Order: sequence, then structure tokens, then C-alpha cells
Amino acid sequence: MKIQGIHEYKAPPEKVFAALTDPVVLQKCIEGCETMEKTGEDSYDAKLRIGVAGIKGNYTGKVRISEKKPPESFTLQAEGKGAPGWVKGTAKIQITPKGEGSELQCEADGQAGGLIAAVGSRLIEAAGKKMLQDFLRKIEEQHLEVGGEK
Amino acid sequence: MSTTTEKPPVTKSTQKYIGRAMKRVEDPRLLKGVGTYVDDVQLAGVVHAEFVRSPHANASIKSINTDAAKKLPGVIGVFTGADINEKAGTIPCASPLPGGKSPVHTVLAGSRVYFVGHPVAVVVAKTRAIARDALELVEVDYEPIPAVIDPEKALEKGSALTHPELGTNVAFTWGLAGGDVDAAFKEADRVFKLRILHQRVTPMAIEPRGCAASWHSGESSLTLWTSTQIPHLIRTLLPGMIGIPENKLRVVTPEVGGGFGSKLNLYSEEAVVSHLAMRLNRPTKWIEGRRENAAVTIHGRDQIGDHEVAIKNDGTVLAIRSNIIADIGSYLQLLTPAIPTLTGLMIGGCYKLKAVKVDITGVHTNKMSADAYRGAGRPEATYIIERVMDYVADELGLDPIEVRLKNMPQSGEFPFTTITGLQYDSGNYQAALEKAKELAQWPRLLKERENARAEGRLFGIGLSTYVEICALGPSKIMAAGGWEWGCVRIEISGKVTVITGATPHGQGQETSFAQIAADRLGIPIEDIVVLRGDTATAHFGRDTYGSRATALGGTAIAMSIDKIIEKTKTLAAALLEAAPADIEFAEGKFFVRGSEAKSIGWGQLASEAYVAKNLPPGFEPGLEASSFFEPPNCTFPFGTHICAVEVDRDTGQVKILKYTAVDDCGKQVNPLLIEGQVQGGIAQSLGAALMERTVYDENGQLLTGEFMDYAIPRALDIPEYALGSTETPSPSNLLGVKGVGEAGTIGATPCIGNAVIDALSPLGIRHVDLPFTPERVWRAIQEKGGTL
Repeated sequence: MKIQGIHEYKAPPEKVFAALTDPVVLQKCIEGCETMEKTGEDSYDAKLRIGVAGIKGNYTGKVRISEKKPPESFTLQAEGKGAPGWVKGTAKIQITPKGEGSELQCEADGQAGGLIAAVGSRLIEAAGKKMLQDFLRKIEEQHLEVGGEK
Repeated sequence: MSTTTEKPPVTKSTQKYIGRAMKRVEDPRLLKGVGTYVDDVQLAGVVHAEFVRSPHANASIKSINTDAAKKLPGVIGVFTGADINEKAGTIPCASPLPGGKSPVHTVLAGSRVYFVGHPVAVVVAKTRAIARDALELVEVDYEPIPAVIDPEKALEKGSALTHPELGTNVAFTWGLAGGDVDAAFKEADRVFKLRILHQRVTPMAIEPRGCAASWHSGESSLTLWTSTQIPHLIRTLLPGMIGIPENKLRVVTPEVGGGFGSKLNLYSEEAVVSHLAMRLNRPTKWIEGRRENAAVTIHGRDQIGDHEVAIKNDGTVLAIRSNIIADIGSYLQLLTPAIPTLTGLMIGGCYKLKAVKVDITGVHTNKMSADAYRGAGRPEATYIIERVMDYVADELGLDPIEVRLKNMPQSGEFPFTTITGLQYDSGNYQAALEKAKELAQWPRLLKERENARAEGRLFGIGLSTYVEICALGPSKIMAAGGWEWGCVRIEISGKVTVITGATPHGQGQETSFAQIAADRLGIPIEDIVVLRGDTATAHFGRDTYGSRATALGGTAIAMSIDKIIEKTKTLAAALLEAAPADIEFAEGKFFVRGSEAKSIGWGQLASEAYVAKNLPPGFEPGLEASSFFEPPNCTFPFGTHICAVEVDRDTGQVKILKYTAVDDCGKQVNPLLIEGQVQGGIAQSLGAALMERTVYDENGQLLTGEFMDYAIPRALDIPEYALGSTETPSPSNLLGVKGVGEAGTIGATPCIGNAVIDALSPLGIRHVDLPFTPERVWRAIQEKGGTL
């Protein structure tokens, strides 16, 4: 399952990069993310409660940020498992200046297994896209001063 | 849906019931909702089991932590493979092939899981809800391993291995050769190749599996209630697994909401639940969920076949050479290896081939096991040979009917020995074909097709002239006895109890066996009760599968009645003051030959036999007999199916306009039951033809885990049926019956397939893979440019 997302921010790349690699921001902006605890350099344990295709469940997982090239790119690896099955994915994020703001391009590759794949496979891609869009939008709304032109 | 059926055959006066379309005595209780299924069995103090299942197709288990689950209030215990596997045996395969390799199949996973849904641990709790909640608290640390999914790639050198300890993904190879194949190919005017795929399908019985076990500590005995087709085979196999003697195990099969082969198995859960009931000394129950059913109850079909066909220009089919790969999944379940061998045996269909060579390779992959699903190997064979027949007609520009007629044996040639060594017991293939043409109004169909094509519509006609193998079967070809057992008891009141070991589970033999018994005893059917599905009552049995119950179980009952009649003649002779040799029996009465007016009926005789005051010397009290019927051969039902379809050019949607089936299942006991079996069989076959496909992704994840993703036919998908029959009795049993439970699933898929390809043929399309979903058909149309 491959998901792509593009989002334009009013904020410059440095600010976007800083927000996206900040665990506090990530925890607040990832839907259903209840906790995010640092376990090492750029590594975190996370607890999520999410529902896809009517299958709600708790997931425990790991998040790792790597290949950091501030302010233009980094890689986010995440994996989680829970009663509904497991998910894992890798997202490559590119941030380029655009006007006074920036443009974020995300290419994610994800896999799912167990019940979530068996009964949610039709919806999982759509749900993944929506989660990504919500996430990128929340980053902007909550942490990058919506209407940055003010 | 509407159905037109011929009138039932006129019955002779001595046959009041056989041949009559009687409603099922089973139905009122089922329709009123007062039937007892496994989940309806109420056991005091019952605890509930739920299984922790692998979300990975292939992974090693690094650790399992059950602490949190055990602490949940209401949880009685959590058990892993390490706790149970040595005490609950290994899952048996009853049909291993020589030289085959099979992994040890423990009831719970050991250090590795091999398919999505593989049971890893079992939770037992006071309620089902608590058990389910506790599942979430069992922490299993898996190390995923790349899964083996594509059976052809699995055969390549260097492929990852499903079971590394076997050193290969080949589970078995099996070959069959008859006639001189090389000579036949040399003799051929033409040779063509066909690659035919049979998709994996999920049986999806409306009632998932389930079982409950109760340990009687005082008696050291166990009762297992289970939704199965095979209580007797389970009673043979399970005791050794759980460590109790066979005579301490009673297996009860209450109502079963559909089996179709998927309950022709001894599954892990049955062994685990039995073990837990003993271990915990508490009745234990497990009811499979729908999603579990899709993932961990056996799947069917899943074959890839490369076929080479040698033909003469006059339409004679000389020989077939086939290489078949069967994707059998992770483990050998009870009959896994046997299923593709049936494809090989029946690949010649109802035709006189000169030579056949079939090589089958069973391949292990990280999927649920494949095993018997309604038709079991024969739908695959029929699809191959019936596609071949149409292909030959297309290749040579001949009429598909003429090609079939050219290659069929004549009715005078039976018993007919096939090139694969089977002896087809009886048949009149031409008569069934002729009748089907008549019922389908063949000339009118051709005209309709002509008109439709003139208008640019994609209209197709398909037929299949199938033969199948039923009444499995003689013990020499079966793993653990192929006989069937029956018992008949004339009670002291003159009422009759019939007990069958055949374990009907929805086929309606509580009705049809009563019909057989009523006619043979000459008594009203209302006086008969048929008992089934309990090893404490039906002492022996080999159960229901392979369309065997009536041919074998019905015959065992008839034999028992004949024994009772013979015995009773002695008693009647004493009462009538005549010699036993002068006593005759007809229509329920015993009388002295020539003086029918003075007769004695069962009521009086039963009373005398049990009260036992005036018995002739040497006459054992009671009127009861049981019989084992060992069949000399299988039976070979046949028929012709014809259907017309129209394909929507824009969407690829296939609509079946009319469906005609003429089935010959030998002597008919109850035409209404036969019609029901044929209708249901066609519906399931239509599913396989048009919509059903079990899909695993490249990581071995099951994507068709419930009815949202796995399409089965609904009422609106079922076309108008025109059903008919011919009756060619089988010489293999005294009733002359053959079996009909699988006929519909065997005859229909190739019939629909041929019709769809025929509809698409004006576009130059000669092949589309099953199932003919709108997407596949649409793509095939697009590839040809979509225009005429």
C-alpha cells in the first residue's frame, strides 16, 4: 500500500521540519496517539487507539526518525501491533521552500496484517490517506500558526 | 428465482414412498428455530475458549506473555503450545501419499506460525466476552519471516521454504498414466495447450464451526458436541490424541448449518477444547466467529493446470497430458492430498480418451490448508475437460454438442472402464444430453443468440456434460474403511427406529431413509424415526462426504430390514402354523404363500418377539438387525447442464438468463431433496464461476476475511432454473442410487464458464480465468478493443 501526500505550509521549511520531528507535536497531531515516550535518540514508543473499517483497537508501537537532513528531509518509520493485527510503514518526507512558505511531499509505504487486513483491506488505503491528510493539516493548525500571513 | 420441474415419477403400489417428492421431516424444527446446534447446547458451569491467532503468515515466536490476560477477572486460564501440545496430539492426515512430506501439525503453534490465523494460545474464561477481551492482553512477540505465497515460485530453486525442516515446499507428487500417451500425441492432427486456474475458494457454511466438551470425571469419559460431518471418524482419531480410550469418548453432532466438506476434518480446536474440558474438569465451549471461519476453516480448490490436448480433425479427443500444481497451504489436513488425485482420476470426464497422463504436485505455502470442498477435485476435473471440449469445437469449427457426442461411450458400453482405470458403473450420457437440450429449448436458444449477436449483444450458450465419482467408496480405496453402517429396530410397539452411521447433516436423510425403510417394511412413514449424529446411538459409521450417504447408508438400512424380514418369517411361520419356507412378505404383511387373507403384521410380530412367550425354538427375542454395507464400486452420476448468459459490454457483468440441469443420480428416493441439492449445488458453483475468490496478498495476509470482501451468491443472483432428470440405476447397491450432493457444483461451473467464453467469442476472446467477475470480463473486453 503506497500513500502519497502533498501539503503546503505558510511556514518556512525550518519550522515545518522542527514541528514534524518534535515528539510532543507528533503525539498531539497523530490521531489516536495517546502516549509517545522517548526510548533513544530519535526513537519513541507510542500507544495508539485507532479504528479502521469499524475495527477499533489499541496498538503499541515504535517510531523512529532517521536520515535527517534538516530542513529538507527525513524518514519516519513506524510499526504497531495490537489485537486487530499489525501495521507498519515507512514515510519519506521532503520539504522544499515554496514562496515564503514550504511544500511538503510525503511518500509512505505501508503494510497491514491480521484482522485489519482481512476485513479492512478495501478501506485501509483510504483510511491511511485520510490519516495522513489529517496529520499534515493538524500540524499546520496547531503548531504552525494558521494564517501565517498575519 | 423460479423453478420448473418435471412431475415426480409415478410410483408403483408397492413403493409408496420411494420416488415421492416428500417434504423434509427436519424442516419444521429448523424453520421454527427449535433445532439444536452446538451453540444451543447448554452445559452447567460451562467455560468459554477463544484462540489467540497469528496476524502473520510466517513468523517465529520469540515470546508469549500471558500474565496480563491471566489477571483479567473471569479468566480461568491461558494456555500456549508449550502447555498443551504434548497432551493433545497432532492433527491427523488420513490420506498421505507415498513419498510425501508433511510437517508435524501440533494443535497450537510451537516456535513458529505458518499462516494467518494459526492458533498460538487459548484463553478460557467464564464468559465468551471476557475470553475475547483477554485475547487482547496476550502479548506475542513475533519475528516476521517472508511468506511463501505463490505456489509456482515456491517450486523454484532457492525459494524460501514454508517448512524449512522439510527441505522443500513440495508436499507430495502424484502421477497417473493410462494408455500410450506418446503414441496418441503422434497420432494427433493437432495439439493445443490450455492453462486453467482454479481459484481458492472459502466454503463459508452459514454456521461456523464450534464444539463443546464435557468431562465426566466419575466415569472418566468425555462427550464432545461438535459441528462436524464426521463424528465417527473423530471418535476413531481423537482418543489417541487426548489420551483416552475410544470407548470413553462419545461424539455428538447436533444440527449442522452447512458443511460442504469444510467440516470433514478433525481440527485443532476440537482437540484443544476436549483436552481443556478434561484438564479443567469443566465443560468447555468454543464457537467459531465468521472471520475465524474465513481464515482457519479449510479452503477449497486452488489448482493451476497446464494441459496439452491431442485431437483429430474430426473432433476426436485422443489424449490429455496435464501438469497440475495444487496449492495446499501450510498443513495437510485430513484429506488434503486426496483431493487433487480425484481431479486426476476424473480428468477424462465422460469421454473415451485413448491416453491420459497427469502429474500433480502439492505445494506448501503460508496459507490455510486446502481440503475437500463440495465436489472436491471433481469440479476442477470437469472444468478442465469441459473447457477442452469447447476449445476443440472452437478450434475445429464444430458444434460443441457434436464434439461431445463423438467422444462419449454409448449406453451399451457400460460398465465402462476409463483410461484412468475407473469402472463407470452405468450411464446413458446421450439421453441426459438430449433431455437437457429439450428442456433448454436448444433451437430457440441458438436463435436467441443469433438475434442477440445481430444486435451486437454479447450472448453466450454453454453446456457441460459431466460425470462424477460418488458413494466413496470401497474400503480398498479409502483410508479407514469406506463401508457404511445402519441399524433397524422394530420396537415392541411396532414403531420403527432407524439408526444411520452416515451422519446426514442437512441433506435430509431423516426423511429419505424413512422413505426407504417405510417401503421396505411396508409401514406408514409416520411410524419411523431416523436417528443420526451420535456415536452412542449410531455405534458405527463413516459419515457423510463424497455424496455417499444414501448409496451406502441407505443400502445398509435396506440390508438390515431384509435381515429382519428373514428372521421374522420364522416367527410368522410359528404363529401361522406353517413352514418358514412357505411364508411370504409383502406390503408389511407376512402370510402363507397362496393364502394372503390370513396374515400377520409388524405390530403383532413385534409384540410376540419381545414378550417372548411363544417363540419358536432357537428364535432369539427382539427384532433388530444392523449391517455394514461394503460397496463393490463407487457410483458415477452424470448429467448435462446448459445455460445462457449475457455479458454487459460496458461493465463486464455476467447475467445468467436461464439455467437448465438434467442430472442422473441413479434411482431417485426423494426428488424434492434431489432438486434442493441440485439447486444449492448450482448456486455454490455459480459463486465459484462468477464471484468467489479467496485472496491472500503478497505477504500472506488474507484479504477476504468476511462477507464484505468475499462475495457469495445471494437470492437475486440465482437464475431461473429448469431442472430435469434421467434415471439410470447403479448396479453397485441394491437401491440403485448414486448420489447427488455435489452434482450441481460439478456440472455448473464449466457450464457457466463455457457460456461466458461463448458470449465473448465474437470479440476473439478464447479464455478468461475464473472467476468471471465484472472486472476480469471487462478487462478481457478492453484488451480486445471492446468492439466487435
